[in-house]
Amino acid sequence: MTARILTPEELALLTLVQDELVPAHGDLSAAGTLGAALTVDAYLAERPLLRRPVLTALRAVEAAAGETPFAELDSEGRVGILRQVENDDPEAFSELVKQTYNAYYTRPDVQASLGIDGPPQPLGFELPAFDESRLARVRAMGKLWRDA
Amino acid sequence: MATPEFDSDVLIVGSGASGAAAAWSLSRRGLRVTCLEQGRWVKPSDYAHSRPDFELARQTSFAKDPNVRGWAEDYPINNSGTPIYPLMVNAVGGSTVHWSGHFPRMRPSDFRVRTLDGVADDWPFTYWDLEPYYDLNDSMVGVSGLAGDPGNPPRSPRQTPPLAFDAGCEAYLRGLEKLGWHWWPCDNALISEPFGENRSPCNCCGPCDIGCPIGAMSSAHVTYWPKALAQGVQLITHARVEQITVDRAGRATGALYYDDQGVRRSHTAGVVVMAANGVGTPRLLLNSTSARFPNGLANNSGVVGAYLMFHPVAFVSGVFEEVVNGQRGPIGGLMNCQEFYETDLARGFVRGFELQLSRSVGPLSVANGGILGHPVPWGSEHHEALRSRYAHTMTTSVMLEDLPEPENRVTLDPGLTDAHGIPAPRVEYRAGENTQRMLEFSIARARELFEAAGAVEILVDPLVQESGWHLMGTCRMGDDPERSVINGWGQAHECSNLFVIDGSTFTTSAAVNPTSTIQAVALRCADWLGRNYREAAA
Ligand SMILES: Cc1cc2nc3c(=O)[nH]c(=O)nc-3n(C[C@H](O)[C@H](O)[C@H](O)COP(=O)(O)OP(=O)(O)OC[C@H]3O[C@@H](n4cnc5c(N)ncnc54)[C@H](O)[C@@H]3O)c2cc1C
Ligand code: SF4
Repeated sequence: MTARILTPEELALLTLVQDELVPAHGDLSAAGTLGAALTVDAYLAERPLLRRPVLTALRAVEAAAGETPFAELDSEGRVGILRQVENDDPEAFSELVKQTYNAYYTRPDVQASLGIDGPPQPLGFELPAFDESRLARVRAMGKLWRDA
Repeated sequence: MATPEFDSDVLIVGSGASGAAAAWSLSRRGLRVTCLEQGRWVKPSDYAHSRPDFELARQTSFAKDPNVRGWAEDYPINNSGTPIYPLMVNAVGGSTVHWSGHFPRMRPSDFRVRTLDGVADDWPFTYWDLEPYYDLNDSMVGVSGLAGDPGNPPRSPRQTPPLAFDAGCEAYLRGLEKLGWHWWPCDNALISEPFGENRSPCNCCGPCDIGCPIGAMSSAHVTYWPKALAQGVQLITHARVEQITVDRAGRATGALYYDDQGVRRSHTAGVVVMAANGVGTPRLLLNSTSARFPNGLANNSGVVGAYLMFHPVAFVSGVFEEVVNGQRGPIGGLMNCQEFYETDLARGFVRGFELQLSRSVGPLSVANGGILGHPVPWGSEHHEALRSRYAHTMTTSVMLEDLPEPENRVTLDPGLTDAHGIPAPRVEYRAGENTQRMLEFSIARARELFEAAGAVEILVDPLVQESGWHLMGTCRMGDDPERSVINGWGQAHECSNLFVIDGSTFTTSAAVNPTSTIQAVALRCADWLGRNYREAAA
């Protein structure tokens, strides 16, 4: 699948950025490696208003990396760059983080790792019934409202 | 037929909580009722609950802020003058299409704040005048809950029993019992057992705020509308009203609206009923200027649009060591704490608040800040932080009484328009001093509750930006035409065949969610109009 909005270079950069934002956990790979960059590209295609902040943040990452491309930095170096961009342009950066979380936490495998075995419907959840005896103390408080 | 010379006897603008109730009530009396609604029917397939990306709907198709959601049926709102953004849904069923269904009643003292506490104005009727309509409304929509709360007057048996009581409730209860505070299971506009037609009882799936796909939530499109349509009400969707028309004598004659093809049409009626909500109704009245009403219909007093009230809301979340699974079960109220509801001047403010003890959200929304706008950090701490909050958090809304102030208002924006070129509303609002003092005090009480309950972390959003759920007061009721737009029957002081029945009617806001009161008021006004139609239309 090819990206609709991001260039191949932007897609590759976003993948690396996302791997730092949401690193691997247990059996799950990091967000970028899982393919969250393509999902974010789809969001950008569907919702044009997201393009500016996300692309601004990506470009800022590239610029902050300077001489050494982001891809050639180790994880510590990449995190340092990301913190710098977050400081300089918190609004654009937080949109990038938000869209990464969106792409990551809507994946069934990620949800399964949190014990979620499907969307809310059609099964819903069974919860214990209400037990009226718990209200004994409050019932004994007597009238608490003012008549008028 | 009461007034055959008109297209309809009664024209209702807006099909939401109030418009639906009034359409049902008026058509029951044989009146020919038409409702113009700018929105459409939300279809079962529109809901996201069966998809793994359901939580995204909060940011997109079911976002509560129309400026974010951007449906073709929405209109823009200039929010630059308010720290609280007005929220609404523009569809058949109005803002009850995706809401939380928390359904408390106001207390008797809420209708008498001038007499009891020397502030604002009394309503032109009492709780006891409204009580039969609260009961009627509950029996129409279906409420889950339990009668017998010592914090409120006795009430009729609820239609279905209270909802489940799970680990999150136990956590709250630890705190409440330690502090000895009042609490009660909430009345909710949702059914916990079979009730009504084509509706399933709640299966505790969780995200009611993006709608209910099984009809458990008592939203107006599943409660009143099927019955109103069966009684012959004509509901025209995709009909955006531009203005209410008047004759030379200043009597309302109907409305001009754009149909689904964008064609401008007129609909005439003996009586016009405004049910377009606390922002939509003043917007339309202000846009309906004429020689008789140069400042907008029924607005020679200048009160239309003024006295806007929200319920300024703070969110306080408690993170617990144990699993509380706050994402399971209806997101809205489980329990109410009304320990601080009535005035106690020793607290440093007049009037009071309730703690609406609610649940929480799924992992995506938690990552993005949960209900509170505190995003989970990215990077190496991310997974641990997410796992400590997700399924471990309960959130309380601090809901307090907002006093009416004339400077807080809806006006017409001089530049912004909707897709039909109709001026958009501009909202100006600031929380008054009493409100600010009460916010501070109430947040401290919510903290105290979570501390007593054993929360390991407490997160606070002291004034939630996206909390303008409750739009009240902008065409307020009263006996004094200088300080109010309508009388106690919803009839405009300046135009006797114009009625307002939605959230804008509120004289004061109380400290509870408004919709059970909005619908009870709408039923009371419609009942009066139905009995007095000939005089009103004459
Ligand atoms: C996310 C959310 C959660 C909420 N939770 C709760 C809760 O738990 N408890 C509670 O009590 N309340 C809650 N509310 C508030 C509740 O939904 C409103 O109080 C209630 O729906 C208001 O009723 P209304 O009749 O005044 O207006 P609405 O229900 O908003 O209906 C107004 C209708 O008028 C239509 N309209 C407006 N302008 C025009 C026009 N120019 N032409 C044609 N049609 C027009 C709109 O499209 C809309 O359908 C919530 C609201 C939101 C948004
Ligand atoms: S929790 Fe219940 S009321 Fe809410 S959406 Fe799910 S089924 Fe509907």
